[in-house]
Amino acid sequence: MSVDGLHLLELRNVAKHFGGLYALSGLDMHVDRGEIVSVIGPNGAGKSTMFNVVTGLYGPDDGDVLFDGQRIVGFAPNQITKMGIARTFQTVHLFPNMTVLENAMVGQHSRSRSGVVGAILRPPGTRREEERIRQRAKEALEFFGSRLAGYRQDQPANALSYANRRRLEMARAIATEPTLIMLDEPTAGMNPTETLELRDHIVRMRDQLGFTVLVIEHDMRVVKGVSDRVIALDYGRKIAEGTYDEVANNPQVVEAYLGTKAAG
Amino acid sequence: MGPVPLRSALRAGVVGGAILTYLSLVGLIERFADLNLVGEQVTLGRLFLVLPPFAVGYAVVRPRIVAGERRLASPRAGALAGALSGAVTMVVFDAVIALAEWVDVGRIRQVFVTATPGVIEFVTFERGLATGLGILIGLGLVSGAIGGLARTANRAVAAALSVGAVTVIVMGLLQRIVLIALVQLGIESDFLYSPITRSLTWGGSAGLFVLAGGANVLWHRSGPETRERFRGAMAEKSAARTGILLVVLALLVILPLLVGSVISQVLGSVMIFVLLGLGLNIVVGYAGLLDLGYVAFFAFGAYMTALLTGATLNTTTGSAAPAFSVDLNFYIAIWVVVLLAAGMGLLIGAPVLRLRGDYLAIVTLGLGEIVRVLAESRWLQPVVGGPQGMRGVTDAEIAGYSFRNPPQHFYYLALAFVLLALFVSWRLSASRVGRAWNAMREDEQVADAMGVSTTKYKLLAFAMGGAVGSLGGALFAVQIGSLTPASFQILVSITALAVVILGGLGSLPGVVAGALVLIGLPGLLREFEEFRLLIYGAALVAIMVLRPQGLLPNVRRMRELHDEEEAQDEWVKRFADEGAAVAAVPGNPPGVEYGDPK
Repeated sequence: MSVDGLHLLELRNVAKHFGGLYALSGLDMHVDRGEIVSVIGPNGAGKSTMFNVVTGLYGPDDGDVLFDGQRIVGFAPNQITKMGIARTFQTVHLFPNMTVLENAMVGQHSRSRSGVVGAILRPPGTRREEERIRQRAKEALEFFGSRLAGYRQDQPANALSYANRRRLEMARAIATEPTLIMLDEPTAGMNPTETLELRDHIVRMRDQLGFTVLVIEHDMRVVKGVSDRVIALDYGRKIAEGTYDEVANNPQVVEAYLGTKAAG
Repeated sequence: MGPVPLRSALRAGVVGGAILTYLSLVGLIERFADLNLVGEQVTLGRLFLVLPPFAVGYAVVRPRIVAGERRLASPRAGALAGALSGAVTMVVFDAVIALAEWVDVGRIRQVFVTATPGVIEFVTFERGLATGLGILIGLGLVSGAIGGLARTANRAVAAALSVGAVTVIVMGLLQRIVLIALVQLGIESDFLYSPITRSLTWGGSAGLFVLAGGANVLWHRSGPETRERFRGAMAEKSAARTGILLVVLALLVILPLLVGSVISQVLGSVMIFVLLGLGLNIVVGYAGLLDLGYVAFFAFGAYMTALLTGATLNTTTGSAAPAFSVDLNFYIAIWVVVLLAAGMGLLIGAPVLRLRGDYLAIVTLGLGEIVRVLAESRWLQPVVGGPQGMRGVTDAEIAGYSFRNPPQHFYYLALAFVLLALFVSWRLSASRVGRAWNAMREDEQVADAMGVSTTKYKLLAFAMGGAVGSLGGALFAVQIGSLTPASFQILVSITALAVVILGGLGSLPGVVAGALVLIGLPGLLREFEEFRLLIYGAALVAIMVLRPQGLLPNVRRMRELHDEEEAQDEWVKRFADEGAAVAAVPGNPPGVEYGDPK
C-alpha cells in the first residue's frame, strides 16, 4: 500500500467481452507505486486485454480503471500516455521506416509542445525543445548500453535485430517519461543471455529510473527474479496473488497451467 | 550461359507485338510520323516503331536469381535472345498489318478512329507491303539485339552509350525550346539544328552523343568520390551548401529571361502543380491520409481569391457583381484565403477522422466532387457564377507591374509561392509535428499509444495541406484571370496525386520532379497533348513496377540505408581492433572482452 493510501493503478471489477467471449470478467487488481508486479497466466487468460483496457485501446464493458486516484476509462490512449502510463506490445510495434532515434523521439511527444508555427519559424524556444527531445531520447536509448548506441541510432528501426527491436520498443516507452511502465512479454523470442540481461533491465527501470513496473511474462525465471508481487489470471479473472512462491505453488495456478490431474 | 531462353523470347515478342499494334491503333505512331528528331530519317514515329522491340529485347535478358545469385546472360547470348524477341515482335506486328490490309483498314476505323491506310503506309516505309514488312523484321532484329546488349554488355559502356542516345533524343524533342534559349543568348544554332528539316543535324547529334557519353564516362571515373563530397557538403550547414543554393536560386531567377514566354507559361503551370503536390504531400506523404478530393482546396483557393479581390460574375449579357464580394489587395487577400482554406481543411477532415485507407479515399473523392458541383450549382450562382464562372480576377499587380502578363512575370509570382511552400514543407517535415505525422502514417494505433493525438494531427494535416493547396488555386486564378467549374474536375486531384507518387511520397524534390515530368513535358511537347492521359497511365504503371519509391525518393532515408553498411563495417572493425589490443596485453586471454560490452 502506498503512503497516501492510494494505489497507483487500480482495476475494479473490470469486464471486457468480444461477442460472447469474456476476455475479462470481474477483474480486480492493483499496482502500488514503486512495485514490480508480474502478471502470469495461460494463453487467452486476458493479460493483454487487461493492458489494452488500461492503456485506452479498448473501453471496458464494465468496471473502473483508476490511475493515481483518477478514473481513466474513456480517455484516449494518447491522453493516458500523457498521464504517465507507457507500454510495449506483445508483438513488436515500432515505426519501421523511422530511425531508431526518431522512434525514441516520438516517445517524447507528450512531454513537448511546439506546434506548426514553432516548426516553421523555429524560434529559440522550439530549437531548445527539439534539442531536449533529442537528448532525452538518446538517454532512453542509452538505458540499454551499447545495444542501441552509436551508428544504430540513425538506422531505420526495421534494420534492427529482433532483440534490439524489443529493446527499442522499451526505450520508446521509457522516453515517454512514465510513472508506470507496462511491458507485454518483453522476453518473448529472446535467447537465454538476452533474457537474463533483460531481467536486470526490468529491475533497473525501477531502481534507477524510478518507474513502477507491470509486466506480463511467461519466463518463470524472470518472474521469480524481478517480482515483488505476482498476479495470476485465468479466464479473465484473478486466480491467485502474492509472492512468486505463493503463486507458483497455488493449486489453482498449477491447474490452470497443467490441467486438473497434475493439480490433484 | 545456357541456350537462348526460347520460350520467354517468344512470349516477350508477342507482348511487344501487341504493344506495337496498340500504339499504331491509338495513332501514337502516325501522329509523330513527321516529327523529325535527327535529319529527316529519324522521326519520333519511327523511334516509337523500334522502341517496343528494343524494350522486349532488354526485358527478356533480365538477370535470373539462381541459388541466391544474380546471373546475367553473356553479351552474345543477350544479343541473340534480344534479336529473337525483337524479330518475333515484328513478325507479330507484320501479321497484324497483313491482316489489316487484307480486311481493309477502313473497316476498323469505327472503333479506332486513327487507324487509317496512312498508318500502314508509314509503318511499311511507303515501299509496299512486302518490302516494308521485311524492313520491319530487320529493324526488329537489330533493335532487339541492341536491347539485349544494353543489359548484358559491359555496364560502363552501355551506360555511356545510352546516356548519349537519350541526350540526342531529348535534344531532338526539345529543339524548339533549346532554339529559343540559344537565340536569346545570341548563340549561332545552325551547327546543331537544321532549319530545313527542323531537327538536329547529323553532325550536331554526333557531337551531342560524344559529349554526353564522354561526360558519363568521366562522371563514372570520379563519380563516387565527387558524389560523396557533394552529399557531404549538402548535408552540413556549410558555405558550399549556401553557395549551391544561391546558384540554383539565381538560375531560377534568370530562367524566364532565357526561355521566353511560351516556356515561362508552361513553367507557371508546373509551379501551380508543384504547390498542389506539396500540399497533397503533407496529407498523403507525411500523414498517410489518402485524399482523392484534393481539387476541393484548389477550387476553394481559386474562387476565394476571385471573390476577395473583386472579380465579377459571367452572365449571358455581360458581367454582374457577385452577391458577396470584397475588393482587397491580392497580397492581403491571399492570407485570408490561406486561413480560410485551413479552416476548410478542418471541415473536410472532421467527418472523415475515423476512416482509413480505401474508405477515406472514397469519401474524400466524393467531397472533392461536391465542391465542383456546388460551384456549378444554381444555388451558388449568385456568388460564384455557376457554369459560366467568374472573370476579372486580379492580376496581382504591384505598382502597375502585372503578374499575369507576360507569363515571365507570373513565373516570378509562382516562384515566390513555391519557395514559400517548399520552405514550410521542409521545416514541417523536420519537426516534432512532422515526426508525429510520420509515426501516425507508420502505425496509427501505436502513435496514439505513444502520446500522439491522432485526431489533432489528422486535422492538422488536412488544414496544412489545404492551406498550401489553396495557394495553388489562388495562383491559378491569377494566371488565367477567369474561372469556370470545368477547371476543377476530378482529374486535378488525380494529377496532383500522380505528381506526388511519381516523385516519391514524402519527398520535396520528388514533387518538383513529378510536376516537371507530368505537367512540364506535355506542356513543352504540345504534340503529346492528346496522349497525355495515356502517358500518365503508362508512367504510373512503370514507376510502380520499376521504382516504387518514386523518381527522387526521400533522400535522407536512402542515405541511411546506404551508409548503414559502411558504418557497420567501421564499427565492427573498431571493435575487432580493440579486441585484438586487449588480447595482446599479457594476462588477458584472447577473446575475454568479446562478451556483452555492457
